[in-house]
Amino acid sequence: MPLNRLFDWFHALFGMRRSVRLGIYGSVNVGKTTLANRISKDWTGQEVGKASPIPHETRFVQKKEKIHIKHRGKNLTINLLDMPGLATKIDYRSFLKYGLSKKAARQRAKEATDGVIEAIKWLNNVDTVLAVMDATQDPLTQVNITLLGNLEARNIPVIVVANKIDKKKADVDAIREAFPQYPVVEVSALKGKNIGQLYDAIAKHSKGS
Amino acid sequence: MKEKIKLKFDFVSSATLDDKPKDNRINFILNKVKDGTILVTDGVLKPEEEIDLIKETMRRVDDGFPGIEVASLKKPTKGMMNVMERMVDSKERMQSLIAGLTGRPVERTSMRTGLTLIGPAKFIKRVKKNPNSFSVLTEI
Repeated sequence: MPLNRLFDWFHALFGMRRSVRLGIYGSVNVGKTTLANRISKDWTGQEVGKASPIPHETRFVQKKEKIHIKHRGKNLTINLLDMPGLATKIDYRSFLKYGLSKKAARQRAKEATDGVIEAIKWLNNVDTVLAVMDATQDPLTQVNITLLGNLEARNIPVIVVANKIDKKKADVDAIREAFPQYPVVEVSALKGKNIGQLYDAIAKHSKGS
Repeated sequence: MKEKIKLKFDFVSSATLDDKPKDNRINFILNKVKDGTILVTDGVLKPEEEIDLIKETMRRVDDGFPGIEVASLKKPTKGMMNVMERMVDSKERMQSLIAGLTGRPVERTSMRTGLTLIGPAKFIKRVKKNPNSFSVLTEI
């Protein structure tokens, strides 16, 4: 970590951009792709992927490279990595209610399991992680606990993003109480609420290369 | 008449799991769970093992096995105990790295003190966790 601070100081001194591989992780349907799209559209005008109410819409790692962020006098270059949702179970039958055929549901489940494995492998190749949580849901899930435990064990800086605060049921305090040791930024990726605070947190907590 | 479905619980001591190399430990757990057993142990997997467990579970998902549900409670450690735990973690991580580089079998790693329940997702519908307890809802 001290070495990282030294790099930060060096970059700041010469006005250089830092480059950060920013992984967007979390459970299924917490709004990871919506957040990735919001960040990417803010700075490049382009989306990263398609968000959908059907679980496991993102089944492959979606990348948007060289996003240059200029925020409150700080320069940062981000390689954005939108990860497939992490899960401990994937049942093809759960997709049938969305109108998918049995064959399509099975294919989606197969790709989704591969996607989880790919997302886990990428944990060794990210500099900073946005751990996205749906603020309307119970945050104390094994997926969240396992994810944060692994990031801590790997010394990867993490920002907990409490998403969907535009919804009435949102309870950000539950997330803060569950994970008091992490910086928590509350946002609505869909409505673009508090995204500036998220850029502040990314600039403050990111470890780059 | 509705067919009776039996639910089997195996209570396994953490010492039994500690005796197994990491990969064998995950195989042992998943073989039991895929057979429909709910496994309870007086230990907690390390985060790295938990994520390996999820990864291996995903490889085994099929029509009859949609995956697992896991709930664990780790005994909080403070002061010197916390320092000791971190030292053991660092040592085991280094051993694992050396084993990976030299191609030798992965060393054993010890579980942490606590409680873990791992069961098949087709029976366990929901796990509700609090910081110091969890409840498990099954449907058979």
